[in-house]
Amino acid sequence: MDGRVMAMSEIEFSLNDAFARSPLGLYVHVPFCASTCDFCAFYQTTPTRSGVEGYLNAVRQELELVRLRKPVDTVFWGGGTPGLLAPEDLRTLGDTVLGACGQRPAEWTIELAPASVTDARLAVLKELGVTRVSLGVQSFSHALLDALGRQHTREQVLKAYARVRDAGFASVNLDLMFALPGQDLAAWELDLKTAIDLAPDHLSTYCLTFEEDTKLWIKLSKGQVKLDPEHEARLYERTWDILDGAGYSQYEVSNFARPGHACAHNLNTWRMHEWVGIGPSAAGQHDCLRGANTADLDKWMEGIARGERMTDDRVRLTSGLLVEDAMVFGLRMNVGVDLQALKTRFPAAGWADLDRTLTRLSEQGLVERTEAVVKLSRRGRLLADSVGSELVGVLSEA
Amino acid sequence: MDVSLTRNFCIIAHVDHGKTTLSDRLLEYTNTVTQRVLTAQHLDSMDLEKERGITIKSHPVTMVYPAKDGNLYKINLMDTPGHVDFAYEVSRSLAACEGAVLLIDAAQGVEAQTVANAHLATAQGLKIIPVINKIDLPSANLELCMKQLEDILTIPAEEAILASGKSGIGIQDILEAVVARIPPPRWSHHPSTRALVFDSLYDSYRGVITYARVFSGSVKAGDQMLLMSNNQKSEIKEVGVFTPKMTKTATLDAGDVGYVISNIKDTTDIKIGDTLTLARNPASEMLPGYKEVRPMVFCGLYPLESSDYEKLKAALGRLRLNDAAFLYSSESSLALGFGFRCGFLGLLHMEIIQERIRREHDVEIISTYPSVVYKVKAHGADEIEVDNPVNLPDPGTIEYICEPTIKASIHIPNESMGDILALIMEKRGMCDHTDTLDANRVMLSCVLPLNEILVDFNDRLKSVTHGYGSMDYELGDYVQSDLVKMDILINGDPVDAFSSIVHREKAEGKGRVLCEKLAEIIPPQMFKVAIQAAIGGKIIARDNVKEMRKDVTAKCYGGDISRKRKLLDKQKEGKKKMKMIGKVNIPPDTFIQILKN
Repeated sequence: MDGRVMAMSEIEFSLNDAFARSPLGLYVHVPFCASTCDFCAFYQTTPTRSGVEGYLNAVRQELELVRLRKPVDTVFWGGGTPGLLAPEDLRTLGDTVLGACGQRPAEWTIELAPASVTDARLAVLKELGVTRVSLGVQSFSHALLDALGRQHTREQVLKAYARVRDAGFASVNLDLMFALPGQDLAAWELDLKTAIDLAPDHLSTYCLTFEEDTKLWIKLSKGQVKLDPEHEARLYERTWDILDGAGYSQYEVSNFARPGHACAHNLNTWRMHEWVGIGPSAAGQHDCLRGANTADLDKWMEGIARGERMTDDRVRLTSGLLVEDAMVFGLRMNVGVDLQALKTRFPAAGWADLDRTLTRLSEQGLVERTEAVVKLSRRGRLLADSVGSELVGVLSEA
Repeated sequence: MDVSLTRNFCIIAHVDHGKTTLSDRLLEYTNTVTQRVLTAQHLDSMDLEKERGITIKSHPVTMVYPAKDGNLYKINLMDTPGHVDFAYEVSRSLAACEGAVLLIDAAQGVEAQTVANAHLATAQGLKIIPVINKIDLPSANLELCMKQLEDILTIPAEEAILASGKSGIGIQDILEAVVARIPPPRWSHHPSTRALVFDSLYDSYRGVITYARVFSGSVKAGDQMLLMSNNQKSEIKEVGVFTPKMTKTATLDAGDVGYVISNIKDTTDIKIGDTLTLARNPASEMLPGYKEVRPMVFCGLYPLESSDYEKLKAALGRLRLNDAAFLYSSESSLALGFGFRCGFLGLLHMEIIQERIRREHDVEIISTYPSVVYKVKAHGADEIEVDNPVNLPDPGTIEYICEPTIKASIHIPNESMGDILALIMEKRGMCDHTDTLDANRVMLSCVLPLNEILVDFNDRLKSVTHGYGSMDYELGDYVQSDLVKMDILINGDPVDAFSSIVHREKAEGKGRVLCEKLAEIIPPQMFKVAIQAAIGGKIIARDNVKEMRKDVTAKCYGGDISRKRKLLDKQKEGKKKMKMIGKVNIPPDTFIQILKN
């Protein structure tokens, strides 16, 4: 018995060692939305005054429950629609978060729906120290926006973008979606061109995913829309070529940035560093644990009041699991995975098994590897999930 | 009861000509079974038999009939298996009788199997009573049936009895004819006891039950019986008759048809066609016609889930208990793992066994391509029999390969002649002669390689004749032929389960079809996968599996890591269920889909 306890603490000790120098992120989920988009599977609820107040209180309590061993490097407010909070609520939330950070975060992102962008809100955010604004544009086409159930128009998007730019944030991202029902290659190219003309610092282009329990999923299962992987693959490749030509270099399957504008918060999660998730449905990975909060505002608040958090999908981290995930998520990045650095962090993992799998994938032309680095080939990038499924279980079972 | 008051007969007919319904009417008429007890078709007790309208196991029944001549007759009805696969079993059932009712469907007329069965019955010295059945059908053509009887079977038309099993017409006429026209039991004066074994059954409570027709002497409980083919002795524990359920009697006497239970434990010791005699005064000579039955068609059977191996083994063992003609032994395949090489009398037999494994024993199985038994001579070696392409000697050393042929009689409508001749040619057959059956039908006599009719010949025959063609066959000679082993390679690795022995001239075409189908069935792969057909080292056909084009999740953020892992784990589990062949994941039903066709 003693031996097992010892062994466990030894693992934790070595993992803590692996995380000692790694950056820390803070994700805050703001669960409020005015309406539900047809494609969205993220947790959200309609805001009420008592709901918002309860939420702000619980965020403060949850941050007190978390033992942060080191200062926070990056903050990300996602949702939901964080921008739906009133300016004074944004300030309350911001002050709470800042208080927990221990330092001014180097990168602080907020997701905003174009319809919610006002000068008053932007002023608060700027004052708080938000550095990065991500606008959920999805498309510039009226017909396609309508088909997605989005609550904004092309004009609103352009106006919101201008306001954000005027406010002088260091980095601005536009979220776009492609392979939308009814969108052909030309329509997508037009959306891309419109976005490029606005000259944002960062672009996220997401191939439409049919998430379970969304309106689009229902349409798919009823046969009202159809999947066309060949069409999707063509749009992917076209996107890569167009954005590369426009000076946006791809750094992940769906993410492109001008030099110096890659999202540090996301890069850190993909590299299997540490981040804390605050708010309903928020997931985190720190203190040798991975897990998520319950995706229900009331239940989350009740749990926090009892001192409980990260109740769902709770997993104790192991070197094997972390190396596998660092591979699966790391390979999605264009720089690939720095095997040397990973080996230094997790020397105990079953590297020989991993090596055999990588050699096979390399022979199949799906990954390219040098002594130190392994990355996906262009074809491998379109098959990242297939590659990933070859990698899971290689180490964590050992 | 006096031997002169016993009659043994069977009913022979083409499939679907109404044999079972008619049998049921006879049982009902003689009060052997009341209407109430009679399940829809009493004698075919297996579900599969009912579904396919065929009889697989023979079930004799003893009836008592008060004839118009005032005597009470004991009539034994033998129900014979109705398919060419079971021709030997049919011949033994026939040998247990002195007469046969030959059933002809009034609307269909004489078919290939009718002719074949009539010839078999005549060869056994049986008196034939022609019965034209289903005369109340609107499409009945009595005139044609009568003419065919005379022209094709050379039976006087006036002997025909008109009947309808469904409406109960002519039932008494048939029974009267059985009594009047069929002679009493033959060979009853032989000095020793002799009984013909025509079937056996395994009962989990009572052990092996032997079905026998006593020709001379008698058997009873307590006797030491002797099986003449292998000199095995055992003590008889019980004898009885079928009424139709097993009914114990004191003795089985000359002319009787019934069952014998001894302390024999294994059905494989009971050989159909064997002669049962008594140890104390054994017969010196067996009843005529005994043959060792040998499987003609072989295939590998593998559990879909390798964990079902023991379950499959148990299933095969149980089926074997009731089916001495079915053989199996363990084998292994690189592609399919551990399984069994199984031998069958023919294709129908194979299908039935496979279906019973699935239904009655609940084991999902993969079956390999069926093969016949080849005779192969390699330099400096004795001729060997090969029933699995994997066991074919190195092509360079082969002196010759012989393949089994069949002599087929095929009945077709005149207008299908051209199509059928083309089909026979395609199947490497030779048509010896044609006989005109009537204004609309001809009978072709031809020789075909058995391996060519294994898979789709009957379906094709039915298709080109719009369902009107029928075929019957008997085994012919082995003939030398230019045969080669064709391998299928997936991503460069040969897949033993797909190997087959084919005629050299047909290899390329067959190889191309197989490659095309595999390329279509195997789901898109992450990398380029070639499917090739090869003879020796030479590639004769190739195709490519479709390459997977896109499989990537768009959004992956911190919150998605656990969810994403679950998805990938699921994907990985899916791959585990597949058979990994040459680094290619193949869904298990690929084998079924390919081998089915």
